[in-house]
Amino acid sequence: MRLTPVLFRLAWRNLWRNHRRTIIMLGAVGVGVWAMIFMTALTRGMVDQMVIDSIGVLPGHVQMHHPDFQDDPSISNRIPFQEAELQERFAGAGFKAWASRVRVPAVISSERESRGVTLLGVDPDAERDISFFDYDAVDGRYLTDASDQGIVIGKKLAETLETGIGKRVVLMSQDPDNDIADRGFRVIGLYAATTKSVEESYAYIGKSTAQQMLNIGDETTEVVFLGDDYRDIEGTYKAVSSVVDASVSVLRWHEIDTYLGTMMRVMDGFVLIWVVVIFMALSFGLVNTLVMAVFERVREIGLMLALGMKPGSILGQILIESMLLLTLGLAAGNALAWATVVPLEDGIDISIVAEGMEMWGASSMLYPKLYASDMILATGVVLLLGFLASLAPAWRASRYKPVEAITKV
Amino acid sequence: MNKRWILPFILLVSPTLGHGEERDGRAIVKDAIDHWRGQSSYTEMTMVIHRPDWERSMTMRAWTMGDDHSLVRVIEPAKDRGNGTLTDKKSMWSYSPKINRVIKVPSSLMGQSWMGSDFSNKDIARADDIIDEYEHRVLRVEEVDGITVNEIESIPHEDAAVVWGREVLRIRDDHVVLEHSFYDQDGALVKSLKTLEIVEMGGRTIASRQRMSKADKPDEWTEVAVNDVEYEVPLKESLFTLSNLRNPRD
Repeated sequence: MRLTPVLFRLAWRNLWRNHRRTIIMLGAVGVGVWAMIFMTALTRGMVDQMVIDSIGVLPGHVQMHHPDFQDDPSISNRIPFQEAELQERFAGAGFKAWASRVRVPAVISSERESRGVTLLGVDPDAERDISFFDYDAVDGRYLTDASDQGIVIGKKLAETLETGIGKRVVLMSQDPDNDIADRGFRVIGLYAATTKSVEESYAYIGKSTAQQMLNIGDETTEVVFLGDDYRDIEGTYKAVSSVVDASVSVLRWHEIDTYLGTMMRVMDGFVLIWVVVIFMALSFGLVNTLVMAVFERVREIGLMLALGMKPGSILGQILIESMLLLTLGLAAGNALAWATVVPLEDGIDISIVAEGMEMWGASSMLYPKLYASDMILATGVVLLLGFLASLAPAWRASRYKPVEAITKV
Repeated sequence: MNKRWILPFILLVSPTLGHGEERDGRAIVKDAIDHWRGQSSYTEMTMVIHRPDWERSMTMRAWTMGDDHSLVRVIEPAKDRGNGTLTDKKSMWSYSPKINRVIKVPSSLMGQSWMGSDFSNKDIARADDIIDEYEHRVLRVEEVDGITVNEIESIPHEDAAVVWGREVLRIRDDHVVLEHSFYDQDGALVKSLKTLEIVEMGGRTIASRQRMSKADKPDEWTEVAVNDVEYEVPLKESLFTLSNLRNPRD
């Protein structure tokens, strides 16, 4: 349509006729969009960190258990495959990392205190990529192999038990016959985690040592698989499910930790609501600006109509003006958000409120995360809703009667 | 004997010469436990649990047979009457008539207090672990009131399910345990069981009153006094069963 460039030029010039008002409006849109994206980046970062930490502790994006293990994580619910069979099924399947482990609830006691923990019998070689802490960062040392006789516990747990490296603690659990399985272990290492509750919850011993203590031959209670990215686990999930039958249950991480899965979905909804709420505030300014612009130009619009411009073009002109305003504001807002988030991506220290954050599993460093999808969402929502909001004033402008409009005082 | 061999021979033997009649530490401990318990035994005892602001006492009957079986039943006070504890080689069950349930004491509760006292469930169920799960060494031998007392240090094996750094027992030559102290792994005393009275009863010399107290809380203790004891009584296997724990037939 030949008219479009003309309409664009008209809209552009109209925009800058009252440049002060336009700049103020641009500022409002820019700050609004910045707030949408910046706040989203902060919460995204927080949730991401929580998910990564929690998956690190789970660990494994896909896990295999006895079907009843989720409801009753006891030693009776073991995986009905021997170690050799597991190797045969999974060793060549091309997982980034996988490991079978013994995971049972246990009680750990020192001379003065005792605490319930999750006992993990692990093969340190298989778990190097899965473990949520770096073996070399452990105070003391980490387990050297699956038959290591030592135990590695969290720093906070050691503090609670008033024990330390080189001292002995006693682990008590149950064997498959419901008899007490207990054994003394010497603490060989203390690990640090992002949250204290994690440090208090997990105790690591060698897998073979655990199997011996619990009297379960070479059976395990859990097999964990790591994919490349926790967002994209369907491939891993299918690869695992395809080689096992119904005697075990294969679960994705968001099915194991439903709180986390829900959290992620809530987060997506939250971003949209946040963007819409900010836009609501913005739209009043936007509509007001457009109404003013139309009101100032009633006679001019009347003249254009009288000269033969179609009402549709008037409508288009106002809409284009609104879209130009929003586009400029969005560009400014996105640029501003990018410029403020990127320097902060190394983390914001929020350790002042760390204790409160820990209560829901977040750590004391906040790493804002800028997602292209969030920026696109914000931009899309603003353009779409902006278009809808501009329709009313534009419609009104296009419906003026030329005679009345020209003679309007 | 060639004269050259005499000196090394004396050097080799001399460490044991000083304590000619000294016996192996493990044997002393084992004898003490056997002496206390006999092949089978029936005991009536009173347990006093003392705290700074309250005190209560319980009278109970206990039967033991061999190394593994024991049954304890509360007879007084009335509100606790019938509460019982049964142990066999590895497990422990408790029964409370109020809820009419036998509960197998899970591993998570083995470290907890037994009937509210300063003894843990483990102290009751696994008392003779000390014989095999520890390395015993006679620290010193001394004379107290004309009776030889062996002081034995027992250090748990590396993988023993014991939290203590070491335990020290003072056992008289007539197998009466005078004191049993528990030390943490830094060598500090945590709790100790002391014998307060020794009497002749049931044909044996036994510690008739013993007190367990924590080192850092001297005004909290549990005292067990033996009122009556019989040794080598004929007991039936059926005494140490879950059904008897629930429905006493004695």
